[in-house]
Amino acid sequence: MKNVLLSGAALLSMTSVLAAQDLPQATSPWFTAAQATIAERLAVQPNTNRAKNVILFTADGNGVGTNYAIRLFSGQLAGGLGDDYVQPFETFPNVALVKTYSSNGQTPDSAPTAAAMNTGIKTKNGMINVLDTVNVGDCAAGATAGVKTFAEIVSDMGKSVGVISTARITHATPAAVYARSVNRDWEDNTGLPEGCTQKDIADQLIDQMKAGVIDIALGGGRQHFLPVGVTDVEGKEGKRTDSRNLVDEATAAGGSVVFGADDFAALTMGNNAPVLGLFEASHMQYEHDRAGEPSLAEMTEATIKALSGNENGFYLSIEAGRVDHANHAGNLHRVLVDGKAFADAIAKAMELTNAEDTLIIVTADHEHAISFNGYCGRGSKITGLCMLENEQGVEHTGEPALAADGKPYTVAGYLNGAGSVLVEQADKTFAGSRPDLTEEQAIDPDYLQQALIPMSSETHSGEDVAVFARGPFAHLFGGVIEQNVIFHVMNHAVSAQ
Amino acid sequence: MIRRTFLAALPACLLARSAQSAETAALKLRDLYNKDLSFSDVALASQGNRISIAGFMAPPLKANSVFFVLTKMPMAVCPFCEPGMPWPDDILAVYAKRVVDVIPFNVPITVTGVLELGDAVDPELGFYSKVRLVDATYSRA
Repeated sequence: MKNVLLSGAALLSMTSVLAAQDLPQATSPWFTAAQATIAERLAVQPNTNRAKNVILFTADGNGVGTNYAIRLFSGQLAGGLGDDYVQPFETFPNVALVKTYSSNGQTPDSAPTAAAMNTGIKTKNGMINVLDTVNVGDCAAGATAGVKTFAEIVSDMGKSVGVISTARITHATPAAVYARSVNRDWEDNTGLPEGCTQKDIADQLIDQMKAGVIDIALGGGRQHFLPVGVTDVEGKEGKRTDSRNLVDEATAAGGSVVFGADDFAALTMGNNAPVLGLFEASHMQYEHDRAGEPSLAEMTEATIKALSGNENGFYLSIEAGRVDHANHAGNLHRVLVDGKAFADAIAKAMELTNAEDTLIIVTADHEHAISFNGYCGRGSKITGLCMLENEQGVEHTGEPALAADGKPYTVAGYLNGAGSVLVEQADKTFAGSRPDLTEEQAIDPDYLQQALIPMSSETHSGEDVAVFARGPFAHLFGGVIEQNVIFHVMNHAVSAQ
Repeated sequence: MIRRTFLAALPACLLARSAQSAETAALKLRDLYNKDLSFSDVALASQGNRISIAGFMAPPLKANSVFFVLTKMPMAVCPFCEPGMPWPDDILAVYAKRVVDVIPFNVPITVTGVLELGDAVDPELGFYSKVRLVDATYSRA
């Protein structure tokens, strides 16, 4: 019966191809490219191998809208119009939309979203890997409500674990790989309430390295590992008030600790000793400003090569943490440069792994209040002005589209944030009008896109994000899913019989 | 003036005007730094001179003070990015002639003052700076 059905499907497919060839549009490049896409989709087969390795890529704050902007930026950087560009992970065969709300937030923050992906449950905004029956900040209740992480599960299987972020390594997304905290801000001991039995997040990372759960951790955040009175290699002082130097403790436990691009490049990884890379006092630099620090792609490459030495496989969580921060600043240029660096890291991971045994998942934790104007002609720079469509050709006319106020406007903007056109007046009321804007001003790397609602920091939004996947059991992604389903796909993939 | 002399003089004239407007145009904050945050040639050449720099007034640390920090972009304060928000590396300390009349953090301003380079700590606020504009005036751009 199965053979008969398959033959029927093949026949139907051939009939549709034959019919398509007879159409007057059949020689259009649009048509033939779409036919090629159909052929590729027909050839996709589910991969039901057990996953040896799992790599979870998260660009913080990179929802469907932000990802669209990064696609155009990367395509225009490559010399094209932008919209037809294909980012490396956009070739993955399996995609779903992801609902990111948290237990108590229509708009999530990065703590419960990372917890969802690392533990399989949603929890409250501000909390990491603690059941949502607990109140945020409740140390006593949190002490008995922690949940087990994917890193701990696969560590029990003998796999290695790495965690990389361009944010502080103690920031919410990377912290969810190794820590449990009723408050995401307790990155060092200074925020812990008196008598709180929970350890701070930096302390928990060192514990997990000593326990053999975390093998490699790379990111920023030196200040949370050093005590007050001790300065780092860049002269910045530590924040801990418990006199503990966690860098020394990591070294004493046999770990290698590096602080910059040079000592990182010189480091021999993969000798079974844990590695802690702390490349900034706080977050690592934006890619646009990066100097003296490894790129996300470089950290990804070195880590995959090191973890690949474990024949049982590995779990690696990689975050482009500063896509989010630049969105918060309302500065689209830095969002996009960091987004391109994220895509470069994914390309490197694709190159270094085999889809037969490695599940690669690319997603975001949440979206931002970014939005897009129309009707822009093709090739309008994604950070620049919306240019008029060209009815005589393909690329825009070079003439900016004008709003009802007679002024040009950018392709992208924000619903709220520091770029607000409403500015505080002397009497504390807010008023204003849109400034006149040139293309040169709009594409300046330091420009803030215009926003509506005045806020000191642009906000997240509850809008869906996408998830792209290739490798074992990637076909379990489809439709519109809850964010915590991502954990369950990873867990199924590593334990499938 | 014969026509040839007039034509020859015209470009020189335009050049002079262009140089003049370059002198008066405000520098961007990033013009003072190289990528590794060392001082740029422009900064080194301008040390001790009265120059204008464009940027944004960060919310002042203290009321009724002559001191404020100039940032290259509005100083957005993200609750999730940074509890105890540190300053960006590429900022400029401004010591104004008069007590500062606060301008909202996201309104572009131009500051004119004497450029000082080198490490300094404000004796009152304890604020560390690498570069300053002193005896400064400022206005909305």
